[in-house]
Amino acid sequence: MTLTPEWYLLLAAALFTIGAVGVLIRRNAIVLFMCVELMLNAANLALVTFSRINGTLDGQIIAFFVMVVAAAEVVVGLAIIMSIFRTRRSASVDDSNLLKY
Amino acid sequence: MNDLKLPAIDYAALAPMLILFGVACLGVLVEAAVPRARRGLVQVPLGLLGLVAALVFVIAEAGTRKRTAGEAIAIDGPALFLQGAIIVLGVVALLLIAERSLEPGGPFVAQPARPVGSEADRSQAAGEGGATEAYPLVMFALAGMLLFVAANDLLTMFVALEVFSLPLYLLCALARRRRLLSQEAALKYFLLGAYASAFFLFGIALIYGYAGAITFSRIHQAVTAGTGSGVLLFAGLALLAIGLLFKAAAAPFHVWTPDVYQGAPTPITSLMAACTKTAAFGALLRVLYVGFPGATWDFRPIIGVIAILTMLVGAVLAVTQTDMKRLLAYSSIANAGYLLVGVLAMTPEGVSSTLFYLVAYGFTVIAAFAVVTLVRDADGEATHLSRWAGLGRRSPLFAGVFTFLLLAFAGIPLTSGFTSKFAVFGAAFGGGQVWLVVAGVVTSMLLAFPYLRVVVMMWLSEPGESTPSVSVPGAFTSAALVIGVLVTLLLGVLPGPLLDLTTRAGDFVR
Amino acid sequence: MTPAAVLAATPMSTGEMWVFIPLGILALVGALGMVAARNAVHSALFLVLTMLCLGVFYIVQSGPFLGVAQIIVYTGAIMMLFLFVLMLVGRDASDSLIETLRGQRVAAILLGVGFAGLVCVGLGRALAGTTAKGLAEANSAHGGNVQGLASLLFTRYVFAFEVTSALLITAAVGAMLLAHIERRKGERPTQPEQMRARFAPGNYPAPKAGPGVYATSDSVATAGLLPDGTLAARSIPEILPPRELTSSETAPKGTDR
Repeated sequence: MTLTPEWYLLLAAALFTIGAVGVLIRRNAIVLFMCVELMLNAANLALVTFSRINGTLDGQIIAFFVMVVAAAEVVVGLAIIMSIFRTRRSASVDDSNLLKY
Repeated sequence: MNDLKLPAIDYAALAPMLILFGVACLGVLVEAAVPRARRGLVQVPLGLLGLVAALVFVIAEAGTRKRTAGEAIAIDGPALFLQGAIIVLGVVALLLIAERSLEPGGPFVAQPARPVGSEADRSQAAGEGGATEAYPLVMFALAGMLLFVAANDLLTMFVALEVFSLPLYLLCALARRRRLLSQEAALKYFLLGAYASAFFLFGIALIYGYAGAITFSRIHQAVTAGTGSGVLLFAGLALLAIGLLFKAAAAPFHVWTPDVYQGAPTPITSLMAACTKTAAFGALLRVLYVGFPGATWDFRPIIGVIAILTMLVGAVLAVTQTDMKRLLAYSSIANAGYLLVGVLAMTPEGVSSTLFYLVAYGFTVIAAFAVVTLVRDADGEATHLSRWAGLGRRSPLFAGVFTFLLLAFAGIPLTSGFTSKFAVFGAAFGGGQVWLVVAGVVTSMLLAFPYLRVVVMMWLSEPGESTPSVSVPGAFTSAALVIGVLVTLLLGVLPGPLLDLTTRAGDFVR
Repeated sequence: MTPAAVLAATPMSTGEMWVFIPLGILALVGALGMVAARNAVHSALFLVLTMLCLGVFYIVQSGPFLGVAQIIVYTGAIMMLFLFVLMLVGRDASDSLIETLRGQRVAAILLGVGFAGLVCVGLGRALAGTTAKGLAEANSAHGGNVQGLASLLFTRYVFAFEVTSALLITAAVGAMLLAHIERRKGERPTQPEQMRARFAPGNYPAPKAGPGVYATSDSVATAGLLPDGTLAARSIPEILPPRELTSSETAPKGTDR
């Protein structure tokens, strides 16, 4: 059996889907956010693999930028989650239900 | 090993963005160096001056059509027009943000880190000066938006998306009153925004795999050549569109809009409704018109369905709302649908009518939220619809102004709402999209109902015990309100000059 | 065709295949475990596992710099930040499995499986004939992977690179804004003020006496005796009423038998 690099893409698609489904089925804000991180990682894997398939380094550069962006996003997100937690002592998104249709 | 050839950078063309980033950094330094009581006095003029300077550079560069900074930035007609629009709308929104006479201390909480309901929190609600960190954050957001509409490759667009999103997430959490609601709004906006940007990023990955590059010109070449797999192209474009339509608040990616618009401080809501929408549609225009015009026949039916769904959701759910800010949020969703109609014309008229619509809608919506900040009681803004009953008797002037703005939303002639809707429908008709025009006209009639209901309630009901008073606006809010109403009227009566400008600004560089 | 190009176009070397299969399975296990684990800390550790596997994949796919950055920055810094916050939030870390929207979970999973199937079939068919060009050429153009990345970073993407500084400043300002409570002058008493309050009339400046220690009891609830034989109320915490032991408490408990 031989495998081709596109198997990395299949793995990336699977990881992306798991993350996307995780966001829909989990309730803890921090876990939700980790699922988003998994999606970003899956996108990075796809970028690096396409970089190899295309023979250019642009994909790796994008993946590098994603890491920087993710770092900033994590700081902001966790700050918001912490500020809510201080008041409510809970990180569940179900408890945040003042806003409804 | 070959030498590094540094790209040519046209600093004059980039000046608006550089100025706003610089002003934002200066603002952070002001936070560190100036005593707390005087920070607001420094930040507001600094921000306004920066915006004016950026606008001067945009106007000076009006004729520029070029790509710069290694093809990463495209300074062309739509980019310059949208940058100018974002700056001017940003000035008006900044006036609302800077208002301090309506509420002691301004619209922001003094120390957002204090837990809600604690002793310290109750004492700061009484009138401690609001957090002035909001000003540099607003500047970062505006600078990010300027970059977003000028980005010529997907990486720059992604970075710009995050640069203007992160400050907005933070600003949503800063409301002085109803802080729990405000923090929840920030959490929802953040989680859903991060989710949408993850989709956007995976879309970038697939498009990169399809085209082998991420600049729009190379993507366009690959799409017209038709080499490569269609699956990558369509999946990638769909995921990119999800990310952009989320920011534009189109259904079914609109669920965050009412919650966030309601929870965020009202001046920030006006900033999001006017500027974020402008930036999102600017980027959508560039992606569809510069990167993927070769796939028009493939994406038009799908985005057309999304446009109709957006108009329907906005119009139908606006009817059921009982809160003023949520009503305006659903109206903003419906307007995203009309804007999509203009975008989908895929003709030069489509671009210019969309640009016109963005400006007209931006001014009207900022003025509407300015009125919302004025109607208040002891607990802050009274946004419940029932509280607005009888406002016409209590304060005919502001009720009259608000009626005018609602009529503009409803698209009554002699307001900018009419001319802008006429323009986008005309463009879509010219582009052969009759079905979208029909849907647009039907939903506009549907959408007139909630607006007229508010008008009837304000004028025909007797003011009750609970009818709040209308505060006398301070200089800043008055200025914002006057500008918004005047532009709404002017663009309704005399749309010619702006229409000419948008027609001349309709050419993208590739 | 040059030998290098032939080499690059070959699917995966045997070595790479033996790296991919186990680590790919581990990455999937980590991702599934993250979604399924009830405890948020376990979720974070599962995610760390997935990220480490991805780091190895980057290195294998001629991206050594990214692979190392993934392990140091993503796993080492970002995920540790997550764990840090989880430990702060602590008690509430476990997640309820009760559905608030009926059928949402099933619908989401079905949607996900459908999406994954669609993408996998689509990708598989789309890429079936493609050959990977490989990065050997791109990496050697500037003398190495890091140099190649740097040359792109400072030419084509220099503006985006500069703009990320705005992101980092925003993050720092935001964290300060939402997490830091500024104490101003006057909120906390100064040392001279504390001193004056201590020796002010009506305040007893010396340490309080400890509770009583007796043959029958040395509990903190037993007050000490003053010289005149009365109980010293100040020798026990305010929330405990001064009391003496009852006869049933002093009676032998039967433990000596």
